[in-house]
Amino acid sequence: MFELLGAGLANIVQAKYLVPLFIGTLVGVVGGALPGITITMTVIVVLPFTFGLEPLQGLAAMIGVYVGGETGGLITSCLLGIPGKPSAVATTFDGFPMAKAGEPGRALWLGVWASIFGGLLGAVFLVASTGPLATLALAFGPWEYFSLFILALSMVAGLVESSLVKGLLSGAIGCVVTILGNDPVMGKERLTLGIKFLEGGIPFLPVLIGVFAFAQIMSEVQRMGGGRKALQAVDRGLSLAVSHLRVMWEILSRPVLLLWSTFIGLVIGVLPAIGGSAANMLAYDQAKKFSSRPEKFGTGIPEGIIASEASNNANVAGSLVTIMAFGIPGDAVTAVMLGALTIHGIQSGPLFISQNATLAYGMFAAYIVAHAVALAILLPGVRWMLRIVDIPKAILFPVVVVLCVIGAYALNNTVDNVYVLLVFGVFGYGMVKFGFPLAPFILGVILGDQIEINLIRAVMSDSDPWLFLTRPISGGLLLASVLSFAAALWQHRRVQNRTAAAQGDADF
Amino acid sequence: MLSASLVLFGLTLGLKDNPLVPIGPGFYPRIVLGVTAALSLWLVVADAAGRRSRKPAPAPDHNYLLVGLMFLLFGLYCGALAFLGYRLSTVLYVAAANALLDPPRGARGWGRVALVAVLTAFLTHLVFERYLTVLLPRGTWTGF
Repeated sequence: MFELLGAGLANIVQAKYLVPLFIGTLVGVVGGALPGITITMTVIVVLPFTFGLEPLQGLAAMIGVYVGGETGGLITSCLLGIPGKPSAVATTFDGFPMAKAGEPGRALWLGVWASIFGGLLGAVFLVASTGPLATLALAFGPWEYFSLFILALSMVAGLVESSLVKGLLSGAIGCVVTILGNDPVMGKERLTLGIKFLEGGIPFLPVLIGVFAFAQIMSEVQRMGGGRKALQAVDRGLSLAVSHLRVMWEILSRPVLLLWSTFIGLVIGVLPAIGGSAANMLAYDQAKKFSSRPEKFGTGIPEGIIASEASNNANVAGSLVTIMAFGIPGDAVTAVMLGALTIHGIQSGPLFISQNATLAYGMFAAYIVAHAVALAILLPGVRWMLRIVDIPKAILFPVVVVLCVIGAYALNNTVDNVYVLLVFGVFGYGMVKFGFPLAPFILGVILGDQIEINLIRAVMSDSDPWLFLTRPISGGLLLASVLSFAAALWQHRRVQNRTAAAQGDADF
Repeated sequence: MLSASLVLFGLTLGLKDNPLVPIGPGFYPRIVLGVTAALSLWLVVADAAGRRSRKPAPAPDHNYLLVGLMFLLFGLYCGALAFLGYRLSTVLYVAAANALLDPPRGARGWGRVALVAVLTAFLTHLVFERYLTVLLPRGTWTGF
């Protein structure tokens, strides 16, 4: 393992891989710092650039975007009180008060160094666990895969805060997208409604790009009244000078906090399609609960920044584990990576690491080196980032849309994919407006085919349906699905009762 | 969603089974569409029941006209790609979208709009076609 990792590191520091990694990380830092531009959108923008590259070059660029985005998001959170991305919301709670109290450099670099440490601890887990988990997954038959995918869908749908039914329906609609076109086992045409393009099924990348990019762009556009800039005013005179050794010591002298926050980030990352926003809030909440001075949280203490930033970078490692060991995207960013792998003819899943060892260890190495690259970008460039976030959205959004069009078109050089982008762009915006979560939908689109294939394979191998329950791993996974669903139901009931009680109090 | 899933469910009933496979091509779609229809129905009923007791929420101050126009513009861009080609349609789209989101004032403003549009089309075309060997759409009317 260490030999392969060493070879991966030696590989990734070559100029042909380091340049895309550097550019990806730079774009990620900028995208992460821009409020209103998520890491998902940034990775979607980068996607078309990877089509002409080798697989490892493209994936290095995307991993750079992911790591850079998670790190860059804290810049505006700390210095302006505006989170650059959802996974930096909790960083704002203590980062901005600390900056306002006259320590902007300390707030910023506490976040950066906590991101680096959290990310590197996550790398240990990524390298050590992906292989064994993939080996475990190799023992899976179609029953286990079917149950695993059902678990993934039920967990994501259940974790939706607004409505459990909407979460489930969103996942089901995602599966509906995959049943249009040829059936994946015998290739028989079905439900094409006479549309020739549908005969080959709907490609998932234009769906993903359309849903995520347009849902976000249009949600921003609806709040625009003209040429509003990303940020209105930036105090460019503030000093960000700080003793880095002191800041590092502030983090390392709290090892339990660092390790626990990293662990939370990893666990959330491993769970499908939840993402860094949950990791960062949960880690912040845990840090507050276990703190000896919880009343100080929100006033600008280092624990809040460390917990939030260590967890969101570790979350990246967790997401990469899930995609590399099981072929299930841990979040929207890894869903795009899954698409990039597919374009290059690489199948992710349990066999990925054994069949593509150079690529897999190259990805591990890219993840590790991306942290150093992010640091190298931020050390001299933080002040520049504050200028870049001044770019007007009126310029940014049309350019992002053009790159989305290229990304969809270049998949197989057909304008039909651009029409898919348009249709699902409108659909995605509609889903957001009606309160439907996007994550279960996308997971349904990605896993729908696999659920069907494994269901049919299982039935073709043995028509006894009880095998789904009596095979230990499959049964365990289905039981976990039921428990996850029950827990979500209980949680929703509790929230509803609490809301009703609060309304009752207000009424009387 | 309820009606769409019911229509599609009806269509799956016409799918013939294959003698080589114990379950036909309509088996899984029927499960998915059945679940979708059931969940949609649940939502419709829950919404109808909740509407009676719910107080109307204050309307948010959102610029839906701008969203509609942006989608319309994007639709026109998608349609124009096949006829005008990537470069010309991108110049027109970026200029129009930029002008719509931030209406230019005076010659300087229009100059900025034109510059952003031309630069976007030129740079993306250069990078993708020349360096990344990604072919971009050619227009049937323009030939480029």
